[in-house]
Amino acid sequence: MSAARRSGLQKEVLGLYRRALRIPRTKPEQTREKWDLLIRYTFRRNAMSVFPRDVSAIEHLLRVGGRQITAYEAESVKDCQVSAEMRLWDQRQRQKRTFDQ
Amino acid sequence: MSLLPRLARPVCSSAARPFSSSAARALATPVAQKPALNKEFKIYRWNPDEPAKKPTLQSYTIDLNQTGPMILDALIKIKNEVDPTLTFRRSCREGICGSCAMNIDGQNTLACLCRIDRNGAKDTKIYPLPHMYVVKDLVPDLTLFYKQYKSIKPYLQNPNPPEDGKEFLAEPRGPQEARRDVRMYPDEYLGPATLMQAYRWIADSRDTHTAERREVLQNEMSLYRCHTIFNCSRTCPKGLNPAQAIAKIKMELAAD
Repeated sequence: MSAARRSGLQKEVLGLYRRALRIPRTKPEQTREKWDLLIRYTFRRNAMSVFPRDVSAIEHLLRVGGRQITAYEAESVKDCQVSAEMRLWDQRQRQKRTFDQ
Repeated sequence: MSLLPRLARPVCSSAARPFSSSAARALATPVAQKPALNKEFKIYRWNPDEPAKKPTLQSYTIDLNQTGPMILDALIKIKNEVDPTLTFRRSCREGICGSCAMNIDGQNTLACLCRIDRNGAKDTKIYPLPHMYVVKDLVPDLTLFYKQYKSIKPYLQNPNPPEDGKEFLAEPRGPQEARRDVRMYPDEYLGPATLMQAYRWIADSRDTHTAERREVLQNEMSLYRCHTIFNCSRTCPKGLNPAQAIAKIKMELAAD
């Protein structure tokens, strides 16, 4: 099975998401679920906000995201806030997934 | 004692001042207002909140007789009176801090030291500093610059500070430990500002890590990417000569 051929930019975006998804496991046990939601929501919302071929906009979001992740990765950052909107979005995603199945 | 006669001398009285120099607002009848001298400023705009939108040049027309003489005065006037969303950095407004560095009519300068061209027929174009990522409008992202600046260790490195109460004296350098530093940016040109600082610490006789400082620069990119075209010295708003500092580093490195 051959992996999909990806452009450099796509790899960078996926690399960024991977880096972000690894954050929750470095955080205290009881906050992990919140971190996970925050990261998934932020990534998806930003990814949906740009046209896939708008390279300069994606590169900008990559830089901003990189800076944000560096801040989250710091050991002194332990907890995060999750808004009601994020919870709602999560619920909808789950519903969609069960519907698709 | 010598102060006394000076104090006793009468201060120049206001009555002696000729009328031509008195401020217009102190006169009973208003002086005729200068005719408006409108000038167009074309300013680079880009909003990070809408990354999908392309950057644009927005034009503002203001009366030069109602503003100060410098570009920064015009920018502040535009921000105060026309468009509060215009974003730029500024702090000291007198060429000390360097916050308002931007590209004005193709020249990288400080907006606070650059006079407005009083030719109303020609527009002035203002862009953020080139070769840098833009944070918003005229604000460039300086993260990389500060990282590179940090990589040259812009502080005194000397494991043997002088005894209490004594100053560092200029003396021949002692034996140096050959400790290899982590090379942070071997594949990127450091730029004149950073290189000038690098030279400042290489030349410092109190610093004992000169060999390491040199070694960090000993690659194709960090230093030797400078083509000696003197753009840095020509544009430097403080009249410094980074090209000379770079040339001196090159001379030191060539002797290694």
